[in-house]
Amino acid sequence: MPLQSDMVHSLKQSQAESHQADRGFRIPVGINLILSLTLAGSAIALRSPYGLAGLAGVNFIYFFLNRSSWLLLWKAARVFFWQSLVLLLLHYLRFSVDGLVPGLRVSCQLFLAFLPGMIFLQGTNRSQLVRVTNRFLSARSAFVLGASLHFLPLMITEVKEIYQVQVLRGSRIHPCDIFKPWCWPDWVSCLIVPCTVQALALAGEIAQAAKIRDFGLCAQRTCWPETENHFKSKRKL
Amino acid sequence: MAPLLDIKDFSYAWPGETDWTCQRVNLEVNAGECCCLTGSTGSGKSTLALALKDMLPSGRREGKILFSSPTVKVGLVLQNPETQLFATTVGEEVAFALENQGVSPELMPEIVRDSLLSVGLDKDFNTPVATFSMGQKYRVLLASVLVMQPDLLILDEPAAQLDSSGLAELRVVLASLVKQGTAVLLCEHRPQVFSGLINRQWTMSGEKLSQYCSLGMSSFGQVDSPVQGHSENSLDSEEVVRVEGASAGTLVDQPLWCDASFALKAGQRVLIQGANGSGKSTLLRLLTGLIKPLKGQITVLGQQPSRKQLSGHLSFMLQNPQRQLFEERVVDEVSFSLRRKGISKSEREARSISVLHQCGIADLAERSPHKLSYGQKHLVTLASVIVGNPRILLLDDPFAGLDERFRQAVWKTMLNWSDEIKTTVIWTSHHDDEVPAAVDVLLTIEGGKIASSK
Repeated sequence: MPLQSDMVHSLKQSQAESHQADRGFRIPVGINLILSLTLAGSAIALRSPYGLAGLAGVNFIYFFLNRSSWLLLWKAARVFFWQSLVLLLLHYLRFSVDGLVPGLRVSCQLFLAFLPGMIFLQGTNRSQLVRVTNRFLSARSAFVLGASLHFLPLMITEVKEIYQVQVLRGSRIHPCDIFKPWCWPDWVSCLIVPCTVQALALAGEIAQAAKIRDFGLCAQRTCWPETENHFKSKRKL
Repeated sequence: MAPLLDIKDFSYAWPGETDWTCQRVNLEVNAGECCCLTGSTGSGKSTLALALKDMLPSGRREGKILFSSPTVKVGLVLQNPETQLFATTVGEEVAFALENQGVSPELMPEIVRDSLLSVGLDKDFNTPVATFSMGQKYRVLLASVLVMQPDLLILDEPAAQLDSSGLAELRVVLASLVKQGTAVLLCEHRPQVFSGLINRQWTMSGEKLSQYCSLGMSSFGQVDSPVQGHSENSLDSEEVVRVEGASAGTLVDQPLWCDASFALKAGQRVLIQGANGSGKSTLLRLLTGLIKPLKGQITVLGQQPSRKQLSGHLSFMLQNPQRQLFEERVVDEVSFSLRRKGISKSEREARSISVLHQCGIADLAERSPHKLSYGQKHLVTLASVIVGNPRILLLDDPFAGLDERFRQAVWKTMLNWSDEIKTTVIWTSHHDDEVPAAVDVLLTIEGGKIASSK
């Protein structure tokens, strides 16, 4: 949980930094989205070790092209490490030593499926995303997609807080409790149920807030223009 | 001249509910006037705000809401800024309503600029909203509502999330808006923080919004009582918390606070005060052992804090605590931690009922916690974290969003546990105007430092 939260924090922070940074060459958002989806899809399709190694290399180039922060890669690597550990353990328990290589492959696939999306989101703001998705999605769907991604960090923070407080209440939901079937009801009642309730409440609040600001008034929304220090230049005039 | 807003005998019940949430509400608001609507939690203030914005579902309703003209626009800012900020940058955020109205992109920067200036935010459009303080975020929200040029601006519980500096900034903005002729309606538990700005105030009487009357400014009861802080001699000398040279935060080079050193004794009442984002909750989390300090030493009950060591000895209540509720009956919710300790059903039920009695909510024992009011849920959660008689009780902003009645109930329970069980009660607040006399230690977080006093 803390790792996920760290990653979200670094994603938000580097997003903020990237918006303040000078704007040199950037991959156009539409192409960037297609690249990200293609790379993520390839991670699921490819199964051979060589294929996955090649894909990791392509992801590395994609990472550089997006000028993503090293912090993101470092946090992602930590998640990959722990995820691999859990998956290898599960595969070992189920298939013995024969399961280790497939376990590692699944972990690599999962990592490479999520990494392009994280790199893409780090360098793309909501209006850019909405502008692109508006071309093939309705305004409502494009907004829902953008808002879902935007509020993901908030939801992860909520899950983390609920997890922490339930652990302190004595709930048996520590990572090591995953392997104890008699603890599984606690995962459902103490974590999944409150998190679902909270997710629904948050979704309701967000939808209400959007409606208050006239979301849904026009069938075709317009979009905030890309501005370069517009505020300052106008004031100088 | 007709008032801008004239509510006549308005009543509303949510779909499926038999009881009215608002009942026979009568009030008037004129242009250029700042009015305040107070009342207990669940009295229907937010419902009325939604009714004025025409955002209520088709429940049962009676009476009329009249505006001086059909073109009157209503702007509404809800309580939690975090769920209302949709964009990454200031420009996008403020332009959100304009995008929805189909305003041409070429016209947007000018309108957004004017709106930002009207709330005193001289920021570049590309400034990330995430880098703002809570007060600045709230002003961004105001700007994003002001682009719709509302004649009536409604703010739901604006003081709940803002610290003193955020409130001071908001007061300046509201005074300016009122001066320009905008009518402002505040739905607020703590109207005194806007004293001098409010022209008229309506206060709910009774359990329902049965009547409103125009009142003078009344003082909101502070969480205080004749109880004074413990004398040195009356306290157990046992040290329960020791912090030495600790720093905390996410990044080593940018700590929230650093070099903090203090010690707390058993039974002390400790208030942690600081502005939004100063690191109050982080300090509580450090004491739980859920996160580690960047440097320095923290000792809780004689050891470095860890989940295993503190289990059963330390309890923690979140801000907005009803998030942690999950059981079907209040008594089951309260007794959950006792169940995990292996205590028999009869004993845990007896202890839970006793705690519910002390919290003043024994009558709710068989009810579903999910169907209670905000204040009742708050007390149920408090009961569920104190039932194990923890040696240390950590409460993150325990009075947020509570009306006077529930604030006093929470306060009384905190005092009881500190006096009778000798629990060290540590709680946070971002309101620096409230330091009850019963506080033994005041930890103030300011400028990246923690100062201990009292």
